[in-house]
Amino acid sequence: MSYDRCVRCGSCLKICPIFDAMGEEQYSPRGKTYLLQIMDQIEQDPEAAKEFRRLLFMCTMCGRCKETCSSDVDLLAIWHEQRGKSIREHPDEFAYLKPLQEALENVQNIYGLDPEDRAMFWLDELEDEIPGLADKVYEPGKKAEVMVFIGCLMSFRSSQLDVLRALLTTLWKSGTDYLVMGAEEFCCGHPLYLIGNDEGAIELRKHNKAVIEDAGAKKVITCCPGCLIQLKQYHDLGDIEALHHTQFFDMMYDELPTYKAEKPFAYHDPCELHRILEIKKEPRSLMDKMHVDYRDIEPTCCGGGGLLRITDPNLSDIIIQMRAASQHLKDTTVLTCCPSCREQLLSNELKTRDIIELVSEIIEEVGE
Amino acid sequence: MKIRDYVIGANASMYYRLNFKKIKGVYYPKSEQELIDIVKIAREKGYGVTPKGGGSGLSGACTGGDRERIMVSSLRMNRVLTISKDQKYVDVQPGATPDEINAMLEPMGMKFWVAPSSRDIATVGGILSTDGGGNDTWRNGTMRDNTLRVRMVLYDGSILTVDWSGVKCENKKIEKALNSKGMTVHDVAGSHGTLGFITEIRVRINPIPKHTLSGGVAHYDDLNELGDVLAKMINEKCSIWYGEAIAEAHPDVRGDMKPPLLILEVPEENTCDLKGITGYKPISKEKLQQYKDTRIKLPKRNPNEGMQVALFEGYGFHGTSLRKMQDCVNEINDLLRSHDLEPFAKYGHGPSKWYLGDNSPAYGIVLHSREIRPPEKSGPEVFEAVKDIVALCKKLGVTPKPEHKWPFSDEVKNARLSEIRQALGEGFNEFLLDSKCYDVLASMV
Repeated sequence: MSYDRCVRCGSCLKICPIFDAMGEEQYSPRGKTYLLQIMDQIEQDPEAAKEFRRLLFMCTMCGRCKETCSSDVDLLAIWHEQRGKSIREHPDEFAYLKPLQEALENVQNIYGLDPEDRAMFWLDELEDEIPGLADKVYEPGKKAEVMVFIGCLMSFRSSQLDVLRALLTTLWKSGTDYLVMGAEEFCCGHPLYLIGNDEGAIELRKHNKAVIEDAGAKKVITCCPGCLIQLKQYHDLGDIEALHHTQFFDMMYDELPTYKAEKPFAYHDPCELHRILEIKKEPRSLMDKMHVDYRDIEPTCCGGGGLLRITDPNLSDIIIQMRAASQHLKDTTVLTCCPSCREQLLSNELKTRDIIELVSEIIEEVGE
Repeated sequence: MKIRDYVIGANASMYYRLNFKKIKGVYYPKSEQELIDIVKIAREKGYGVTPKGGGSGLSGACTGGDRERIMVSSLRMNRVLTISKDQKYVDVQPGATPDEINAMLEPMGMKFWVAPSSRDIATVGGILSTDGGGNDTWRNGTMRDNTLRVRMVLYDGSILTVDWSGVKCENKKIEKALNSKGMTVHDVAGSHGTLGFITEIRVRINPIPKHTLSGGVAHYDDLNELGDVLAKMINEKCSIWYGEAIAEAHPDVRGDMKPPLLILEVPEENTCDLKGITGYKPISKEKLQQYKDTRIKLPKRNPNEGMQVALFEGYGFHGTSLRKMQDCVNEINDLLRSHDLEPFAKYGHGPSKWYLGDNSPAYGIVLHSREIRPPEKSGPEVFEAVKDIVALCKKLGVTPKPEHKWPFSDEVKNARLSEIRQALGEGFNEFLLDSKCYDVLASMV
C-alpha cells in the first residue's frame, strides 16, 4: 500500500492546518498514515477504529502534505481512498453525509434545491444589468464557443452574486460568445469525489459532458477550482479545454488599466487551484496587469476545503480564525478566486473580493 | 483506548510497532506547571514518563519501550520566550523547532545555528536529548555546543537547572548529589529523555554574516580517498559552511550524482585553499540546490521496488577508520547482505563533529545509512543485523553518533546516565538503560 512508503519523518506536521489548529499528532498527516501502518492493531479496538474513521474527515484535503512529502507518498489519494472505504463499510457512522448524497442523486445539486432554480435565482437579479443575459442560458440547439460552468455554490448562494455579476459582465463587455448551462448544469461531482464516492459522480459527469458537447463549446470555464478539477480530470472532455476564469481572462487581456485601491490587498491562493491544479501564474498575471498592490499570504488552507464545513464546521472556523490572526487579515481585503474560499472568508467577517470583480470594475470604469 | 494513545507511537525510527496497552496516558502540556501536574500523576500511579519531541529521531527512544508509562509530547510547548540580541541567546520551550526559532530571529539578522535535516519538525528538546547537529556542525558544533542552560522537571516534580558550571535544584539533596558528580550540559546532551523533561533551553544565537558563498562538488575514486580528504580538511581546519558526502546511493534516488562525492559550500575567499585540498569544482547555484535537495531527500525516499529502513544510523568514522572508510564500509555492507539487507544509501555530514560517550569531541564524518528491507523477514530477524553491526563497529573503531544511537550501545554514556539517575530519580524512559533493551527494541521493529 502506498501509505507503507511513508517514513514518518514528520515534515507534514507543522504545515498541516488541522494539526496547527488542534496541536495533537492524531490530526496530522503523519499521525493518520501511521495509524494506517498499524491498522492491524487498531482494528482490534473497535472504538479506536471508529475514531480513526472520523479523523479521516477532519481534513481540508488541501494537498499541502502531499506537496511537502519527500517520500512521494500520494497522501491525497490515500485520504480519498480511505474516506470512500470508511463510508462504504460503516455507512451508519456517516449518516450526516446522506442528505448530500441524496441531493446530488435526486436534484443534482448540493443544496437539494429545484434544478430549475440554478439559473433563476441570479438571472432575476442580473438580467436588467446585463443585456441579453436570458438568451445566454443553454437550451438544446443553442451553440457557443465558451460554456460557463457556474457550479453549485455560485448558482445558489447570494453571497456569490457579486462575483457572478462581475464574471458575466466581463464576458458581455469582452464580446465573448458564451452560454451558461442553467438547469442543465449538474453538480460536477466534486463533493462526492471528496468523500471517496467515485461511482456516484459518473452519471453527473456524463450529463455535463453531453451538454457541453451539444453546445459545440471549444472551452468550458469556471470560477470554482473544485469544479475545474472535475472538468479537467474526470469529465473526459477530449479537445474541449477546461479553464479557470483567471486563465481565460489572462489569455484574453494582454494589458489592463491600472486598478487604483486605497490599501494593498492580500492574495490567498486557493489550495485546489494552486496546489492541485498548479494554476499559480495566471491569477498573479491578471493582478499584475492591473498593477494591483498585493502581498502573498502563506499558501495554507482557509479551512473551507475537503467538505470540512460539513464534517466539522467548528474546526473549519478555528482554522480561518487562526489564519486571520497569523496573517493579519482583519484590516485587509483578501483577494482570491474560489467561491469556497470566499464563503469561508465571508462567514468569518473578513473582507474578500474575487480577482474578476477587479477586472470587471476596471473595464466598466474605462467603458464609462 | 483513545486513538491519541496509539498515534503517539508515530516516529521515524524502525521501532514503531509498540505494545500500546502499556501506554497509560498521553499528554500535550503547554506550560511547565502543566507538566509538573502530569509528572505527579505518573509518580502517584507508579508509571514511567517518556518525553517525545518531533519524533524525527531514529533511535526509538521516544517510544518509551515496554514500560507502563505516560507519554508526554512537547509539540505544544513551542514558544520562543525571550530573545536577547545583545547577549546572543534565546530562551525557548522544548517543542520549538530550529525553523520556528529562526523565523523569529532572521528579521533581526540573527540565527540559531543548529540545522539538522529535520529542522522543520525536530524540536530543540529532542535535538539536545540526542545531541544532534547538521551539515554545518563542523563549523557551529552540535546542539550541546549551542546550549547555554537547560531547565528540566524531574520525576520527583522538582525543577533542575543545568548549565556548564553545574546544577541548581529546588531539591537541595539532589542538587548536592548532582554537583558532586559534576553534572553539566554534557550530561543532558544525548541523554535520550532518561533524566527528566526539558521545559526550557537557553540557546546561543549569532549574527548572519554578510558574505558570498560558493558551491562546488568533488568526486573521488573510493571512500578511502574521500576519508583522506576529510582528514586533511580537519587538520587544516577548513572553513566549510555546508559539507555533505554522498558515499553511495541507489540509482533510483541519486539522480545524476556519481558517488562518492562531496558537496561543499564555502565563503568565496576560502575557495582557493579548499580546491587544493579537496579538488572540488565550482557548480552553479541551481546545480548546488539540486544536489542539496537530492541529499536531503535521501533519508525519505524509497526504491522503486521495496522499502528502505533506517537500520543503523550514524556510523562515525574518525581517526583510523576515517582513512579506511572504504574498507570499513565494505565490511559493513557484507554484513548487511549476509542478513539479506541491500545497502540503499550512505551519506552524511562531512567534515563533522560529534561527542563520544566520555564527552570528548570526535572529528570525521557521520554516515547515515539506509537499507532495503527484505519483506519476508520479521522485525526481530531484522534486528539481529543491528546487534551484529554494533559489534562490527566496535571492532572497526566506528563510533555511533549519539544523535542516532542509543545509550545501550555506548557503555561509557550508559554508565554515566545510570550514575546521574541514581541521584535524580529513575522514572524517565527507563527501558533505554535496561539490560533487556535489545529485546524491547527488537519487538518494535
